[in-house]
Amino acid sequence: MASVNAQIKRGSAELAVLTLLAEHPLHGYEIAKQIEAQTGGVLRFDMASLYPMLHRLERKSWVKAEWQTLPNGRRRRCYRLTPSGRKQIAPLRAQWRAFFQALESVTGFQNA
Amino acid sequence: MPDWKQIVRKNLRVVGVCLPEFTEELAAHLEDGYEALLSEGLSAEVAFQDTIGQIEGRCRVWLVMRFLQEELMTGLIRGVALPGLLTSAAAGFFYWALALNHLPSNVIWLAGGLSPLWWWCLLPVWGALGARLSRRKGGSRLQRISASLLPSAILGTLILLIFVVGFTLSGLVNHYQLVSARVESLGLVPPGFVLIPAAFSLLGAGIAEVSSKKLGSLDSGT
Repeated sequence: MASVNAQIKRGSAELAVLTLLAEHPLHGYEIAKQIEAQTGGVLRFDMASLYPMLHRLERKSWVKAEWQTLPNGRRRRCYRLTPSGRKQIAPLRAQWRAFFQALESVTGFQNA
Repeated sequence: MPDWKQIVRKNLRVVGVCLPEFTEELAAHLEDGYEALLSEGLSAEVAFQDTIGQIEGRCRVWLVMRFLQEELMTGLIRGVALPGLLTSAAAGFFYWALALNHLPSNVIWLAGGLSPLWWWCLLPVWGALGARLSRRKGGSRLQRISASLLPSAILGTLILLIFVVGFTLSGLVNHYQLVSARVESLGLVPPGFVLIPAAFSLLGAGIAEVSSKKLGSLDSGT
């Protein structure tokens, strides 16, 4: 059960990040804050979850990271979605939809 | 403003040494978090304690574990296993070629003659090859080192297994000479075929690291 739980967390986090990056490139801190804000604090990333995942997505070539110098002179590693990453969003959404429908059919859980 | 890079380097030494590319990124994250807390009206001291709490105590242990787990597990095949196995094959093939051509591999008398000097001399090349292949596959520094050391690790495991089986059989036949011969060789074989080769491979990996850095700085300079 624990492994399923971990996989669900991992999968949902990947989908959330990819969806967010589909809108515009962001750096790590912005990703964490935007997801927290958009989910009302339900989904939160600590550094230990966020950065290993971002680098995993980068290894899969779903995102590409580049160091950028901000107007204030600071360097930030910005992540942007690659065409390959964009292609992953629809199948991931379909998988999650199927998952919620299956859960709903068993538990009566409503997928809002 | 606290020097977050320095703080990250100090608190996350393991991450800094094995995965140096993360240090600046984590420092940037903490810097942004610290400034956000200041802008919310927290005092500098409270904001600092709150921010540094993300890389201290249990958080630090968890962070290091997650990074190492992710790097080791997900990159294990691409960054370590494949380059390491290729390196093992190259080192093994060379040793086999020496033996087949009756070239004197045991040329110096050290550790009971188990000192294949020429084989050792080329081990830095294989170590560098492992590290280089791992780098090409996007391996982190830890993975590059692991890839260069994989041949020694494989050989060490095999030798350990052989000794375990040998000791078991010696015990079964209860032959004093067999047992004493195995005890003697236990002190000779691992240094000659595992520890010294590991050091030579590591030397090669180190040279590959330095040369890559120099080439990288040359590229960025042009």
